[in-house]
Amino acid sequence: MATFIHCKNPLSEDLGDQLKAIPECPGTCIFIDIINSTDLKYRAGIETWGRMLNNTFNFISFLNNFPENIVKGIGDEMMLYIPDSELRQKKDINSYFALLGEIFATLDNIKNHPLPDLFLQCKVAIHHSTDVYNITFLKGANDYYGRGIDLSARFMQKGRPNRIVMSQDFYELVLADAQEVGKADTDAMLKMVSPIYHEDFKGVPFPVAYRFIDLNN
Amino acid sequence: MHLQINEVAGNKVVAIEGRLDTTTYADLEKTLTNLFDEGCHNMILDCSAMDYVSSSGLRVFLMILKKIKSVGGSLVLCGLQPAIYNVFEISGFLSIFSIRDSLDQALNK
Repeated sequence: MATFIHCKNPLSEDLGDQLKAIPECPGTCIFIDIINSTDLKYRAGIETWGRMLNNTFNFISFLNNFPENIVKGIGDEMMLYIPDSELRQKKDINSYFALLGEIFATLDNIKNHPLPDLFLQCKVAIHHSTDVYNITFLKGANDYYGRGIDLSARFMQKGRPNRIVMSQDFYELVLADAQEVGKADTDAMLKMVSPIYHEDFKGVPFPVAYRFIDLNN
Repeated sequence: MHLQINEVAGNKVVAIEGRLDTTTYADLEKTLTNLFDEGCHNMILDCSAMDYVSSSGLRVFLMILKKIKSVGGSLVLCGLQPAIYNVFEISGFLSIFSIRDSLDQALNK
């Protein structure tokens, strides 16, 4: 559970000490955005919109493995944070390679589902970072802050329907896992990963390396 | 995961045992694709000993269904355990796959 940061005195020296003592919480941050739901809400009304959102949230079945890692949901967007220590303890999806594989399969299943108009397409951004802190400024809430979270959100700018954008940091972890199980050179999903791109993102003082998988190709 | 291919009453039956997930789906994909490429367009997938399916596994089912439908063949799944049945329901797969309670029922179609 997050460390609750709360200090009445804005000039408190204790607060600085408390913040300095908070340990990093390395892990994987995932943003998922369900596409076109706002448009659908106005165009088709709550019955259609609500049904498709319900279906899509249900369909994102890998989430069933991480219910306690859903940090927040705002409308049709959600953020997950999976600390490294928790990922390796999971029974079903316990590697970066497996995690990416399940997200990839989920988006592909939605895209290729034979029944039209049941599910909405998604875009996903994934980043792994050590620069994350499990803190909250709201009593009773669980949350994560840090430059790693900010950068994960920035990757959504490169998102498109049926696309997974991932930082080079996360990709390298995926690749290491895939090598460990002998699939780095043969896995069909990994063959779809784009070349590396470098880009300046707002508020980030250095070019950021990322790749993506475009299921529309 | 363990796969067993049998010929039962003229039907190709693929029995799936264990967990169908990111580490095992490729084996099933390869097996089913090979069968299809060899001309087997009517298949029964016996899922009675399959105790877990992830999105990667569902993707294989969709893939083979698409292939078999494209040539007018038939694909029947049978013996889904309750947890698997639940996943199929959520995924809308109950409406797109032919599903039977048991292998006997699948053989009788």
